[in-house]
Amino acid sequence: MVLSGVIRRDLRWLLLALNALPATAAGLLLPTALASAVDMALAGRLDAGTVWWLVGLAGVEVLGDAIGVVLAAAITARGAAWLRHRLTAHLLALGHPARFEAGDAVSRLTGDSAIAGGVAVLAVNLGISVVTAAGAITALALLDWRLAVVFLLSVPLAALLVRSHLRLTAADVATYQEVSGELSARLVDAVGGLRTIAASGRADQEAERVLRPLPRLTAAGVGMWRTQARMIWRAGLLLPLVELAVLTAAGFGVVAGRLSVGDVLATLGYVALGMTVVGQTALLTALQRARASGRRLQEVLETPLPRSEPPASTTTGEIVLTGVTVPDALHDVDLTVAAGTFVAVVGRSGSGKSALASVIGGLTRPSSGDVRRGGSVGYAFERPALVGTTVADAVRYGTEPHRTDVEAACRAAQVHDVVVRLPQGYDTPMAAAPMSGGEAQRLGLARAFVRDPAILVLDDATASLDMVTESTVERAVESALPGRTRVVVTHRAATARRADVVVWLDDGRVRAVGPHSDLWHDDDYRAVFG
Amino acid sequence: MTYLRALRDQRRGIVVLLGWSVLEGVPALLSGRLVGLAVDRGFAAGRPWVGVGWLLVFAAVAVLGGFGLRQVFRRLGAVVEPLRDALVRQVVRGVLHAGSQTRQPDASAVARITRHVEVVRDATAGVLVQARALLVTTAAALIGLAATVSSLAWLVTLPVVAALVLFGLLLPSLARGQRRLVMADEQAASVAGTVFLGVRDVTAVDGAEHALRDVMTQVDRQASATVRLAFATALRGIVIALGGFVPLVLLLLMAPGMVRAGTLTVGEVLGAVVYLSTSVQPALRRLADTTSTIVLRLVVALRRLAEAAPPIDPPTGDAVPEGFEVELDHVTFGWSPTAEPVVRSLDLVLPEGSHLAVVGPSGIGKSTLAGLITGLVEPQAGHVRFGHVPIRSVAPELRHQRIALVPQETYLFTGTIRENLALLAPTASDTALLAAAAAVGATDLITRLGGLSATLGHSAAGLSAGEAQLLSAARVYASTADVVILDEATSALDPAAEALVEQAFATRNGTLIVIAHRLSSALRADQVLVMDGGPPLLGNHQDLLTTSPLYRDLMAAWHEPHNGTATQPPRQPALTAPTSDPEQHR
Repeated sequence: MVLSGVIRRDLRWLLLALNALPATAAGLLLPTALASAVDMALAGRLDAGTVWWLVGLAGVEVLGDAIGVVLAAAITARGAAWLRHRLTAHLLALGHPARFEAGDAVSRLTGDSAIAGGVAVLAVNLGISVVTAAGAITALALLDWRLAVVFLLSVPLAALLVRSHLRLTAADVATYQEVSGELSARLVDAVGGLRTIAASGRADQEAERVLRPLPRLTAAGVGMWRTQARMIWRAGLLLPLVELAVLTAAGFGVVAGRLSVGDVLATLGYVALGMTVVGQTALLTALQRARASGRRLQEVLETPLPRSEPPASTTTGEIVLTGVTVPDALHDVDLTVAAGTFVAVVGRSGSGKSALASVIGGLTRPSSGDVRRGGSVGYAFERPALVGTTVADAVRYGTEPHRTDVEAACRAAQVHDVVVRLPQGYDTPMAAAPMSGGEAQRLGLARAFVRDPAILVLDDATASLDMVTESTVERAVESALPGRTRVVVTHRAATARRADVVVWLDDGRVRAVGPHSDLWHDDDYRAVFG
Repeated sequence: MTYLRALRDQRRGIVVLLGWSVLEGVPALLSGRLVGLAVDRGFAAGRPWVGVGWLLVFAAVAVLGGFGLRQVFRRLGAVVEPLRDALVRQVVRGVLHAGSQTRQPDASAVARITRHVEVVRDATAGVLVQARALLVTTAAALIGLAATVSSLAWLVTLPVVAALVLFGLLLPSLARGQRRLVMADEQAASVAGTVFLGVRDVTAVDGAEHALRDVMTQVDRQASATVRLAFATALRGIVIALGGFVPLVLLLLMAPGMVRAGTLTVGEVLGAVVYLSTSVQPALRRLADTTSTIVLRLVVALRRLAEAAPPIDPPTGDAVPEGFEVELDHVTFGWSPTAEPVVRSLDLVLPEGSHLAVVGPSGIGKSTLAGLITGLVEPQAGHVRFGHVPIRSVAPELRHQRIALVPQETYLFTGTIRENLALLAPTASDTALLAAAAAVGATDLITRLGGLSATLGHSAAGLSAGEAQLLSAARVYASTADVVILDEATSALDPAAEALVEQAFATRNGTLIVIAHRLSSALRADQVLVMDGGPPLLGNHQDLLTTSPLYRDLMAAWHEPHNGTATQPPRQPALTAPTSDPEQHR
């Protein structure tokens, strides 16, 4: 369980509890100290000891609270950070294709982790409330056992109240979180189509479409407030009734001479302290939320990791596929690529080209069949996601090459000239370097080149480049990374023509393998290129 | 500002809510006095039933207060939820109206905006519950106190005021800390968002460790900002606690002499202590613990929201175009006055029914041309006319209806395929939609997906980029637009599918502008515009082969395999270096 993990891992909540002890004790002693001070004042005496005792207790409480604030923040921050670490590591290990949408994953990382990370502090605070209540009842009993008896009659009522609250909010809280997520996902979709929306002048209509689930969110939100109102109202009824009962008992104590006037004040203080445990609605709601968040984190962490053994090895630069099947993409593909060959993979849309690249690149495990690959892979995509803080970081991502190697890779990818014109060159933050599709593609190529791989897999990775730039990149690769095996998914006849051999895929099967010039005689083959 | 406006829209609810809170203040006003009376006149005087009577009044007053609080909470939903709705609405509209010109928010930005809205919701509720209760309680208690022990009123107020002033001095540093924390939160979300969106690439380049390191750097920064803020919060707590406690001690120091002198009764002292310890002190403590944090969070979140969703500037215009001829007259456009223009002195006339292809190297500004023709982008110099009137003065709804742009990145949303296809033609019949789908070759796709009533998931899940582009093409085909601009709209299709889409649009009545992804598009067009950063060249295919060296090079590189590969040496493509390096003209 995620939440118990948070509590077990960082035991500093013990320190928080330890710090809370004197502060809570001082808080419990304060009403009696105040009572004797008031009795002293009413008697017309000024007793330094009594006043100092009161001041000292207050000092301990105030200081303890201050230390508690810092400790609680530190514990929550550490707990959240630990959860974020686990969550990020697991999401990354789950790899591609992502099981959780990016926006959803981020909200689990930022929102749920923070809430669940605070569970230890929440538990301690709840514990302090309980100890305070128990201490207050003991103090009442010490003043006059009748006071404690009267007070305790209210405890079952309080328990009832707390239980009904827990039952009522869970559904609304869950609905609220779910609809929030749905709204975000809709907005992300619309943002992806901003150009279409702008050009068709449909911003308002599309905003309405995104906002369609809003009434459900509102309903859940209103439900949450209503539950709180019921809770508060019941607590609001309970407290004055208990106060009335206990104060009446105390009044008779005064008449009978068992209690002083100051003791009445102390009684009032202890009733208030004893009732704090009931007044902790916020803590209970927070605990409820922490449990919901814990479940959302659990959902990620319990998603089993895919088998992650890399493809078996073979001669450097060689690729051997035997009977490889990927559901809905590849059927029983046998393919051997000799080291140093330039292979073009062609076929109509949806014929399994990307799946083949993905299997060779190690992104997809075939459901059956065997993949052998000699050496490391440099993998580039049609639409690369450039991850990293700066441009240089995005290119070297996951490796530690020298800066000159990064520059050389960018030169080969024909993107060096673009980078050096950016405000801070290679150190420009990615956020400040908006890229066109073609520029991003070339940085993606540079990222594949800089690894100095034995095999290059380019999945339509030059589709946004015009053909002049594309062929320049190709020649640059030949001189910068000579003799590497290249698997190039392409739609272009010119690229296929330059390849040593073409793998022609049709409906997930290898239709033919051979040089472009041989295949070109086939009408079906020519139709692939339009 | 939206927040204040939305708050104003809820003013009725707020007034009702505040009205109820007067009721809530009654116990604070009377509690000390009533307890004092119960002891003074009742228990201490040996008349317990009189004491009980006063205590019953005390209880009744408290029940009244509780009822007031209940009404406050019930009404909170009616105020806060519509407010949250208004903010969500504003943010969504703001983001969608921002168009394509600004940097587009990504998934993490959306998550961030959602969180700001939630903070505003919670914090507004918090302010309404706590700050209001704080004011009501403190004011009521101080009034009650002053009425009880008027001679000592200054003793009580002075320390409270001093603490509040000191607290005010601490506020700026608190606000800075709060903002630092929020920024750290956002940075962490942004870095994590990039990583999660790019999980394919992270996996492909074996960068999981790197990604984890990057995310954790931000997470640790976030954690340390949290702790730093906690120190400031603790200091604030001490100051406020002193402000609440010092009056009590002063009262107890002054009281013995006054009781001896007979200027204070037992009940008055008791009442004063009750006011201070059960009303003023808890109220101040709440100010320190939560209220100020809530206010700080509210302020920071509102500021960030305003940055995320700038005010909308709706387009205006009421001109009605005659026909749909497109004319560009000496049009120049650059992204800034100092930058090299993307389009320079472009003259172009497209009579009704033309078919134009735009070719040129990547990143040269072909999409900008689409923006100019659709009126989304305003030229720095020259004129763009549509149907003989300036495009930006055409009534917006007419402009959007008659010019359709299909960009490379598709827009598909959660809903049925029917809804998605009918986006630009809401009244189109199923037959018309299916005919449009058939024209662009999307029939098989739609059948496979389960027909028009099948639903699409988020992010067009389950569709390849090419399939998404096919659906987008069918959508525009079904529209009533006279001018269709395909801006690399078929980039993810194979050439055969692309040809089918382009031919479908060419035979559809109207003007077609294809911003070409492949050169085959140029062969199908009547006119070709070559953009290479220099002066744009316009002509038909044959003319351009002689007038444009770039065009010749592009065509030579592409055409080769069609001209019998056997005669060409395989590793020496007939590519001369282009006369103009595309990079020079960025």
